[in-house]
Amino acid sequence: MDALIAKADALGPKQKKRKTFHNTTDDSVKKHTAVPKSLQDKNPVLNVPAHKHIANKKLRTELVRSATHTARAKALLEDAEMLLTEDAGLMQAEGGLERTWRVSQSEILVDAGQDATRGRREWKLDGGPYRSRYTRNGRHLAIVGSMGHASTFDPQTGTLHAELQLQETCRDITFLHDHSHFAVAQKKYVFIYDRDGVELHCLKAHIEPTRLEFLPYHWLLASIGNAGYLKYQDTSTGQLLVEHRTKFGACSAMTQNLHNAVIHLGHQNGCVTLWTPNLPHPAVQLLAHLGPVASVSVDPSTGGRYMATAGRDGAVKVWDCRNWKGAVREWSARGGTPEVEWSARGALAVASGGSVNVYTSPTIQQPMHGSTQPPLYLTHPIPSRPLTSLRFAPFQDVLTIGHAAGLSSILVPGVGEPNFDSTEADPFENRKARREKEVKALLDKIQPDMITLDPELIGSLAPEPKLSTTTTFDGKPAVEIPFARLPRLERLRVQGKADETEVVDPDDTAPDGTKFTKEEKERKKMRGKGKSLKRYLRKQRKNVIDPTAVAIRAKLERQREERKARAKEQAGGEPRKASALDRFAKG
Amino acid sequence: MKIRVLQHDPAVHLPQRPGDPTPTSRNLDPLMHPFARARERTRALNAAKMDRMFAKPFIASLEGHVDAVEVLAKQPGSLTTVASGSWDGGVIVHHLARRSRLLHAPQAHKGKVSGVCFSRDGRLFTCGVDRNVKLWSLEGSQTENPQPVTVFSGKSAFNAIDHHNTDPLFATASNLVQIWDETKSLPVSNLTFPTSTETITSVRFNLSETSVLASIGSDRTFTLYDIRTGKAERRVVMQMSSNALSWSPTFPTTVLLASEDHNLYTFDIRHLAAPSQIYKAHVAAVMSCDWAPTGLEFVSGGWDRTVRVWKEGRGHSPEVYHTKRMQRVSSALFTSDARFVLSGSDDGNVRIWKAKAAERLGIVTARERAAIEYRDSLKDRWKMDAEVGRVVRSRHVPRPVYQASKLKRTMLDAQRVKEERRRKHTRAGEAKPKAERKKLVVVEQS
Repeated sequence: MDALIAKADALGPKQKKRKTFHNTTDDSVKKHTAVPKSLQDKNPVLNVPAHKHIANKKLRTELVRSATHTARAKALLEDAEMLLTEDAGLMQAEGGLERTWRVSQSEILVDAGQDATRGRREWKLDGGPYRSRYTRNGRHLAIVGSMGHASTFDPQTGTLHAELQLQETCRDITFLHDHSHFAVAQKKYVFIYDRDGVELHCLKAHIEPTRLEFLPYHWLLASIGNAGYLKYQDTSTGQLLVEHRTKFGACSAMTQNLHNAVIHLGHQNGCVTLWTPNLPHPAVQLLAHLGPVASVSVDPSTGGRYMATAGRDGAVKVWDCRNWKGAVREWSARGGTPEVEWSARGALAVASGGSVNVYTSPTIQQPMHGSTQPPLYLTHPIPSRPLTSLRFAPFQDVLTIGHAAGLSSILVPGVGEPNFDSTEADPFENRKARREKEVKALLDKIQPDMITLDPELIGSLAPEPKLSTTTTFDGKPAVEIPFARLPRLERLRVQGKADETEVVDPDDTAPDGTKFTKEEKERKKMRGKGKSLKRYLRKQRKNVIDPTAVAIRAKLERQREERKARAKEQAGGEPRKASALDRFAKG
Repeated sequence: MKIRVLQHDPAVHLPQRPGDPTPTSRNLDPLMHPFARARERTRALNAAKMDRMFAKPFIASLEGHVDAVEVLAKQPGSLTTVASGSWDGGVIVHHLARRSRLLHAPQAHKGKVSGVCFSRDGRLFTCGVDRNVKLWSLEGSQTENPQPVTVFSGKSAFNAIDHHNTDPLFATASNLVQIWDETKSLPVSNLTFPTSTETITSVRFNLSETSVLASIGSDRTFTLYDIRTGKAERRVVMQMSSNALSWSPTFPTTVLLASEDHNLYTFDIRHLAAPSQIYKAHVAAVMSCDWAPTGLEFVSGGWDRTVRVWKEGRGHSPEVYHTKRMQRVSSALFTSDARFVLSGSDDGNVRIWKAKAAERLGIVTARERAAIEYRDSLKDRWKMDAEVGRVVRSRHVPRPVYQASKLKRTMLDAQRVKEERRRKHTRAGEAKPKAERKKLVVVEQS
């Protein structure tokens, strides 16, 4: 039997595969260190530049790694759409004859859900006209009537936070970072109240304010008043940061661009100006209307690309903020001074005369010649004129209109952003979350001098420095030499500290302006006078510019001028003109 | 007419039962997050500032030596046991966690204790200028005046000692390198480079290629030996002598030298013609160096009274530690968990420092850990920003160190300028500039 088995073994199977060399160490290491299949990248093919032009290997690896990281993050962002669970509202015409603008509020109410119908409200209040403002999460509403009735409340639950009868003219109201504080522009000053309506501060620097804006990421309260001063107050430190004199007189149209914190002002002479705290003059100034500007609004849905303005002349204009050459679209609203407001999803509401018109997004931003009105989306008549304020509620399909007889909020399907982000603004946040957010926001406060027209400026590549270290030596072609290796004079030049003024020796020229020869100069040299000064200057020459040297140089220059003038007079040149001061002259 | 009005379902956005976490929702649309970059920069700046605020690296000082601490050694395989030897001949074995002494021999040697090391099984070897190597046992050594287990006597004063990683062998350095067996009273072999007449100042066994050892000598040399062949394999003569050497625990071919010329050098022993990296920051001679067990960091102590913690491969701006009372640092050590750094200095103290200055000791919760990691990545991402980078980079150093570094920079600049002028006035192509790494090694012998 054994022999048989041995014989069978002797044949054996024929080796089919070529033997491959196995590194046992390598294999055992691989088995234990490989990433499990479930964790392996499913789609590792990323379009990443290879950076082959970069010779430095370390730098190249670093660049490729960061580019891969960015590409992967971008790819993952597509998956993040799963997080968007809620659907936006909408209103669509189905038949050929149906028009959305024919739909009235009562019809919308029939189709709206139980919770959504709570958005349709009428507040009949005395002491109008009223202005209103929502918090950033859209939960709380602050209203103020021009006769001094101010109130903050939660319109959904009907909780009243504060109700004040201020007994004087109030022109605007705004919440600060959240509903725990609000500011009211009263007759003389701006006052800050807490949630319960207790007066906390009277900002006496803000005189006769007409409009208020709060920049939430910078913690700045901006106000403009009848005197035409734009003032920024830091509400985290309490300092009055800066005040800009607009030189345009009283102003009653103000808005902020949410995406770059630039303040837009509309003035009496038809100008619209854009302001940042670090510029003493407007960053942009354009003549928008022929009469006074009544209202300004910036489109938040396109990152602040479009601006709408309304003038007292009844014109409504939409502007492209990248290119100010003429309005993208303009039309005239009937029946008086229009008020404009842009919603989070890009719907524009225009209130004029006795009605509110809403236009939707793509058509109002398309360039159009002539003054045709864009297709109307929704209209709602309000009999109590004037309509003074329009506010869209964030994260809801609600538009609140302030007018002479109080406020009314209407449902406008499809204007509200459906998906909120809890880290930014959460309508459902509880007390603890609100407090947490307040602290986080204070820690993340952006410095006011970082406000620019282009918010992407921060973190982008710095421009090429104006001072270049390119130098020419001894008539050779220009070469780039590192700063540390430049000779001292060149370093000063690069730093902008070199004294480039020509060396002028006062002894060089005769009184009549001709140059002395060397012998003449030696002969006529003024000895003794101001020697130490001149020695000092000679030492300082071709050196660092320093204020004392400049002052001394100026003084010497002045003395020389005087000397020249005196010499001229003595030489009997043209007689000096008689002056009124001559009577005090001695002798 | 199709009409739908937006409404949020409170059941989705509010906690179901009291005590439940509040549901959060995210929308990653960039328009929902204005000023994302600016806010992130602010956060990075705050992170950098917090890092500097919490940078309190000093933990404790272990006293006990009468004179300057000359050597430090950690026990392999132990996180807490560290031995220190002093100029007065005293040896102390410290327990770091309890900050107590496991062994205290005030008169272990006559004169300076020049080397201490541990064997794998935890016994302590010390050598001194009194020509003795003594072997101590840590068990039952609570007596007032402990006595060594064995004494090996040599012919000349010893300068350093190191134990073999696996075998019961140890090497001593005097005017030659001697290999000893623990069980024999005389050295088993003498290793020396044929033409050498120098004093060997330090000797170290390689950690993974255990039969290879390296030494540095007073003739500005670095020598490699193999105990299998029993002779010196390779020798390099450098511009200035080295004070300490340390083998990398993770890259077996990498060795770190602490040089008298204020720099540290790593060499790949396969290419001894030039160092693989130069580490420049000390303003006086570097007296000691030691790798972290991860091989990613190392510590150095210098004559300029500072301890510096370096990252492998980054030749500048190390973390710098100093105190008012710390004198010349003659020995520095990374602990086996890579979290702490020890320094022994001329004032007779052994100091414990954190390896990461702003690290929090104690238990760190998962949320805290996540926040720390986020802050670290923010700092890394925004380090090119002028303001953030300035906060991250700048370190306060004592005035003498600052002045010395300024003076050093001026001198180096002047040297460079002189070199450039000289080159400008020699015939073209005759005086080519020499790379900094090529300047170090004078000659390589084998």
